Amino acid sequence: MMNTGSSSGGRTLWASTTSGSGKRIQKELKELDCPPLSSAGPIAYSINHWLATFLGSPGTPYEGGIFFLDILFPNEYPFKPPKVMFKTRIYHCNVDSSGNVYLDILKDGWSPALTISQVLLAVRSIFLTPDPYNALVPSIAHLYQVDRKRHDELAAEWTHRFAK
Amino acid sequence: MVSDSTINASIPNVSKDFGKKKRANRSAKLKQCKLDARREQWLSQVKNKNCKEEVNVPVVGGGKFNGPAIVTWKKAAQCCKVLEVDNPGVEEISHHFSDSESSPSNSPTNALVGASDANQGHNSNSNLSPGRETAEGLNFEGQLPICENVDAQLEKSKSVGVGILGRGSENCKAWRPDDAFRPQSLPNLAKQHSFPTGAERLQGFGNPWVRNNMTPRVPTSCPICCEDLDLTDSSFLPCPCGFHLCLFCHKRILEEDSRCPGCRKEYASEPVEKEASVSGGSLTIRLARSCSMSSSRV
Repeated sequence: MMNTGSSSGGRTLWASTTSGSGKRIQKELKELDCPPLSSAGPIAYSINHWLATFLGSPGTPYEGGIFFLDILFPNEYPFKPPKVMFKTRIYHCNVDSSGNVYLDILKDGWSPALTISQVLLAVRSIFLTPDPYNALVPSIAHLYQVDRKRHDELAAEWTHRFAK
Repeated sequence: MVSDSTINASIPNVSKDFGKKKRANRSAKLKQCKLDARREQWLSQVKNKNCKEEVNVPVVGGGKFNGPAIVTWKKAAQCCKVLEVDNPGVEEISHHFSDSESSPSNSPTNALVGASDANQGHNSNSNLSPGRETAEGLNFEGQLPICENVDAQLEKSKSVGVGILGRGSENCKAWRPDDAFRPQSLPNLAKQHSFPTGAERLQGFGNPWVRNNMTPRVPTSCPICCEDLDLTDSSFLPCPCGFHLCLFCHKRILEEDSRCPGCRKEYASEPVEKEASVSGGSLTIRLARSCSMSSSRV
């Protein structure tokens, strides 16, 4: 499933692994500890480009969906945070329409001591509990706070349309 | 005597399990090992001079706690009984022995040993009363030192046993093939089965009891770049939170956001003095090093 990522083929930008981050990423891959209902691993050609897969947790409007995320390790990793992008559309106040995801630890809260396992855990946590106070899509955050039922219906509908 | 039956029962079981899985020549080999082991065990129990060795082994082996301690007592008692056969005067020794055994002690081992007291009583309590006082008074040049030795070593094994309580819990059954109490003259089975624990012991840091006292533990590689930490790196402690990293990564972080990866606080401009104020005098060598490092860096 990891190798079925649609965007893996022509990406020459990340093809070289000559940066100093290679050893660190190798080690993280070896010691990878994915949270439940998720997996992650490098796509062919480059160890700097990973694909993560999240299954929507039961009991949430994302139940039954399969969500793919791109993880790009910059050459400055781990001094710079990895870039995490949703490849699957999702109705979520912390994920905008182009797939950018808001996570504190991927911006100002990043620390070189954090690992990709912890990033995956943070992504998992926003699946379970969206954070409307740090929203990328204010309208969804507003709906989440005002009419939770309607929000969940829309999210389930999007899950059914885009993530199945 | 109870322990004898467990010895003889446990070894064939283990080798039977193996025999099922392995090929025929392998099982023949194991059978030979089994026979050898059994013979050696019988020899070691019958021989008088092995008595002392029997008792010594547990202490050398580091003292597993529960069952083995009881077995040790029983074995010692057996040996003393064997001595009785040869020398009637040694009877007093076993009295002395059982006396010291049943006397109250503040060690937690005593509670466990107490369980075996009933069995011990069958062995030696029948003619206990008249000889007890004479045991201290009489002087057996040959045998009494053995008894004292036994007592001293039991005290020792008690204290060891208390320390080892945490890690010895997994194999508390007596005389299993991987038991450290088995006589070391049983290399075939014992070495095969006890290798992992032996290797763990050899590592030095393998003892979790010791490791728990070391705070914080110095990593062997830099958690940021995963390169090995050399001596300078591992003695370099730029932040009071105790987060270790190599000098290269530290320099790079100073150039960028200059926050400690461990606690996310800004590195102090003079990390050395900060460390001194926090950590105190035990880190003087480390202080000197990081002093020189920071002065060369700045």
